[in-house]
Amino acid sequence: MNTEKPAGQDRSARELEMYFGPQHLGMVGNFSITLNVEGDRIIKAAANPGYLHRGFEKLMELRTWIQNFPMVCRINVVEPDSMEMIYSMAVEKLAGIEVPERAHYVRSIYLELARVGSHLFGLWAYANMLGFDTVAQWAMYHRDLVLDLFEELTGGRVYHIYIWPGGVRRDFPEGFADKLVNTLHAIGGCVPDYDAAFFENRVFYERARGIGTVTREEAKEMGGTGQVLRATGMEYDIRKVQPYAAYDKVPWSVHTREDGDAYSRIWVVRDEMIESVHMIFKLLEAMPRGEVYNRIPNPFKWNIPPGEAYVRCESSRGELGLYLVSDGGDRPYRVHFRTPSYPHGLTVLEKALQDASIADVGNIMISLYVVAPEIDR
Amino acid sequence: MNDALRKKLSSTFSDLQITAAGDGDTSITVPKGSLMSLLSFLKSQGYEHLGLISCVDWVEQKEFELIYIVSAYMSRDHEHGEQERSSIIVKTRISREEPRFLTVIPVYGNAEPYERELHELFGIHFEGHPRLIPLLLEREYPVPPFRKDFDTRKYVKEVFDSVPSLEDPEE
Repeated sequence: MNTEKPAGQDRSARELEMYFGPQHLGMVGNFSITLNVEGDRIIKAAANPGYLHRGFEKLMELRTWIQNFPMVCRINVVEPDSMEMIYSMAVEKLAGIEVPERAHYVRSIYLELARVGSHLFGLWAYANMLGFDTVAQWAMYHRDLVLDLFEELTGGRVYHIYIWPGGVRRDFPEGFADKLVNTLHAIGGCVPDYDAAFFENRVFYERARGIGTVTREEAKEMGGTGQVLRATGMEYDIRKVQPYAAYDKVPWSVHTREDGDAYSRIWVVRDEMIESVHMIFKLLEAMPRGEVYNRIPNPFKWNIPPGEAYVRCESSRGELGLYLVSDGGDRPYRVHFRTPSYPHGLTVLEKALQDASIADVGNIMISLYVVAPEIDR
Repeated sequence: MNDALRKKLSSTFSDLQITAAGDGDTSITVPKGSLMSLLSFLKSQGYEHLGLISCVDWVEQKEFELIYIVSAYMSRDHEHGEQERSSIIVKTRISREEPRFLTVIPVYGNAEPYERELHELFGIHFEGHPRLIPLLLEREYPVPPFRKDFDTRKYVKEVFDSVPSLEDPEE
């Protein structure tokens, strides 16, 4: 022991290693962070994923192209729909399958609805963590209304497997569009309540302002996308950069904020949710009639020509990519997902936690919108 | 990738093989010695976003193919041309017998977890990486588990079948 220095003056003696999660009330999801703290200040944070590693990418190499769908959608539990979309896009690109015009619109509407549901879930998590229990309950209730729509459309509430190579599984049922509009109006009618109780609330401002700030340069350096980047004033959205489905068919805008802190990120989420609802209305109006599905070859005897494809789309959390390789067989040769939570939960989180207070760890993590199963896959 | 960049690339590097698909995606195959300078060059040309580092195990050719996918960040997307919007897939091959390569962290800071993952799942050693410690897996494997010669079904049978079951107390 070093006896020359008086107690408390040796920095290393005051530095503690602390485990935050996976069994911690402030932690959302199966994820943990090792914190080096001095008093209440975090000196260094090390993200520690792997609690949900199921080896999906390896398992997918053992299953046929179509059999992989139930696994693909379980990579992101909160928003499985963009996962179906990206896998379908990659398979379509490799196999050269065309998608009918109407299916593009149906896909866009479906994905935007999923984005609303996912953002409401994120809002629940964030409001709950800050102690806004009422707002959290509203968000959960409204998400449930969205799930009801999914149930009617696809038969499943959480995992839908609705998007399929060649289009979507079925067209909107009779009267579904009206129900969709009514539900979205009901949710949209509560925006003033949300604003009064949460977004324009002084408590939210005080708790989120200046917390977990990531500058634009830092975000770019660490692979940030989605809200992390848009909260720093960059209009970076894959739906605009490389439009897919029907996103280039109707006018819409990307919402940004300037400060790069938790407050800006949650405001971007709010604005995006409202934009998604408006986009659904525009898409419903512009939607053409016709088929929603192009027949694919018999899935039991379906060999896809050799090749590689990298496709990307904008999930509710940021840029979602998929690198897919076929060797000409009836199953993928290599699958690798680029999930938005991967850089956000590892590199960006470690950076944002530096010099933060222990009390803000959950705040920063949820505002970065990290979903642990996306990291582990 | 636009034509100006393509010309610049072919005049700067002699050993590239550039293929362009119909929908704008470009892939560049490069010998492993030139990969670092190619990535630095692409970054200086605006391809600042490293989307993914992946690896494909071509077991019959006894090679690992490393994949680096880069694209451009756009602050105002309408200021960019159609050809700059797609990603570039940079590929290089390394020996499977001696899987070592250099880290690209000095060029792209967010390469750190991707290389850590490939080290764990494919057993590729990235020289100069600050922390090549396990990222996702909890136990030791005889062969890095994402390699093609790792038999998932056999491993599962051997490891998890031997757990004594409650219904069969004699075993």
